Amino acid sequence: MPDKNNVLKGRPVVAQPARREFIARIAGTGAVVAAASLPHELFAQAAEAPKPSADPAGTVPNSAVLAEKNPALKPHSERPLTGSVTAENHNFAVTPNDRMFIRNNLLTPDLDAGKHRLTVKGLVERELTFSLDELQRSFPVVSVQGMLECAGSGRAAYVPNASGTPWPPTGGMGCPKWTGVRLRDVLRAAGIKPGTAHVAGQGGDFGVIATAAPVIRSVPLAKALEENTLIAFAMNDGPLPKIHGYPLRLVVPGWVGSASTKWVHTITLLDAPFKGTFMDSSYRIPRIAVRPGEKMPADAISTEAWPVKSMITYPAPNATFKAGKPVLIEGRAWVGEGAIEKVEVSFNEGASWQRAAINSGGDKYAWRIFSYEFWPPSAGYATVLARATDEKGNVQPIVSAWNPLGYFWNGIHRVGFMVEA
Amino acid sequence: MRVPPAARRVVPAVTAVMLAIGGAAVAPLSAQEAAPARTLTPGKGADLTMARCALCHEITHITRARLSRGEWQDNVRNMIERGMPIAPDEIPIVVEYLATYYNRSAAPAADPAAASAAAAQDPVQRLLGDNACLSCHGVDQKIVGPSFREVAARYAGDAGAGARIAGKIKAGGAGNWGTIPMPPHAGLSDAELAQLAAWILARK
Repeated sequence: MPDKNNVLKGRPVVAQPARREFIARIAGTGAVVAAASLPHELFAQAAEAPKPSADPAGTVPNSAVLAEKNPALKPHSERPLTGSVTAENHNFAVTPNDRMFIRNNLLTPDLDAGKHRLTVKGLVERELTFSLDELQRSFPVVSVQGMLECAGSGRAAYVPNASGTPWPPTGGMGCPKWTGVRLRDVLRAAGIKPGTAHVAGQGGDFGVIATAAPVIRSVPLAKALEENTLIAFAMNDGPLPKIHGYPLRLVVPGWVGSASTKWVHTITLLDAPFKGTFMDSSYRIPRIAVRPGEKMPADAISTEAWPVKSMITYPAPNATFKAGKPVLIEGRAWVGEGAIEKVEVSFNEGASWQRAAINSGGDKYAWRIFSYEFWPPSAGYATVLARATDEKGNVQPIVSAWNPLGYFWNGIHRVGFMVEA
Repeated sequence: MRVPPAARRVVPAVTAVMLAIGGAAVAPLSAQEAAPARTLTPGKGADLTMARCALCHEITHITRARLSRGEWQDNVRNMIERGMPIAPDEIPIVVEYLATYYNRSAAPAADPAAASAAAAQDPVQRLLGDNACLSCHGVDQKIVGPSFREVAARYAGDAGAGARIAGKIKAGGAGNWGTIPMPPHAGLSDAELAQLAAWILARK
């Protein structure tokens, strides 16, 4: 180890008192979940490993989470639970709940909306606590369609491999409709003290062991005050699904998903970025690209807004078409901050590019739908590439710069399909 | 740790058809890939690594990874920050194991000496390792749960202690030693439970 003492300093050996109280409180709600078995196939080969025990009380079993998902949603890991659908399963204007990606760091808590409270504290004039009803009564309720994408979305496309869950090259994102109150309204009600620089969210998820560090992430005050940054209680006009943060979550659209704290119960105003493992060791990217296999440089920066990106949602890979008829190529393009300027498609592996049509309007942080009517010049196997450009002139790269934790994959997407005579 | 070849099952990959273009990122339009192993390659430190890591996450997070020594150091440090219960002298053993058997540049085959040592291992020690008991309980030291010596002391002179401890290991529980729940271990046979209970009671 490079600095053994430093490593050991943070070693939590016994549960922190707050953690114990919280677990006891969850257990005390009576929200005990029956120990349901996980999908058989997930554990078919688990006989040799220490058996992850039955699901702890106060959590939603993976089987119950996945039962509400489309069969196209494939888990990438079971503990913590992660999963997503690939690009061709995203051909919707608004991402349905059953296709929204899953990225837990800990277990899925089974929370009681009636007992749930949101506390705003830290650099505030007055600490405030809200029930769900109070939150909805006290502030204007707004709806926005907005992108959320896991920072590691597409990680498996990196060559050589990067450290972390191998998210498939496409699909680790979604663009549902969110309904809630603006975070800025709540922060202003509490009174933002001068010197506030970051706003941290903490959620009610907990780990298998009591020493598991809570997942706390913070965003700069400016992003917290952005009018599309919400404390959401609804997704696609219904209550948030449990896996997506029921009963309350932050929605920080356009930014890495981890900023959008699920199951949020505490919001803390800070004079600096939150100091904790989920800020200081995870979700970081080097300022200057490093050689694959190198460690994260000490001066790495926190991941924030996603770079410009697009995916082809139609046709599905290896679809078959008849020559003499057009193929209506469709896809989605987005950028974490800013606007999509154009999307181009290529049918000759990037030698030349044509401009696709983009839908205009839509919410600031929603993806744009692009389309292109392609007339195959001849029968045979065809490919389509798509690349988006944002208003600042940033263009999707052919391959994204390698980074130790495999974040921000936004390489050009390519789909092959068959045109029969 | 035993590694039955049968445990490596092959499944159709999640359609590996969305491709990056350019360089080595181009791959066949459809591909088959082996599911990651659910057991660790036998070698010095494998049992400890399994016990410490698989407590919170499935072991495939390791078996499908190939990382440099520096990256493994970063990962272990990160997991300690996230609450991994591990003794200071265990850290270099786990890092060394990962950097040896799950390395980007060289992933040696199982160490046959370690494999036979594992097979010859004291059955109780293997049960303790396979079920991650030592992640929460030390022999002398309270970690998350009580030390085995404390448990033995509490039940000293109790004729029904063996059966009661075996029952608690199997069903899990909370409330006797604090609020942190102990997970159930329903997969253990009655004989294994009795072995463990007898061993714990002998720690007094």
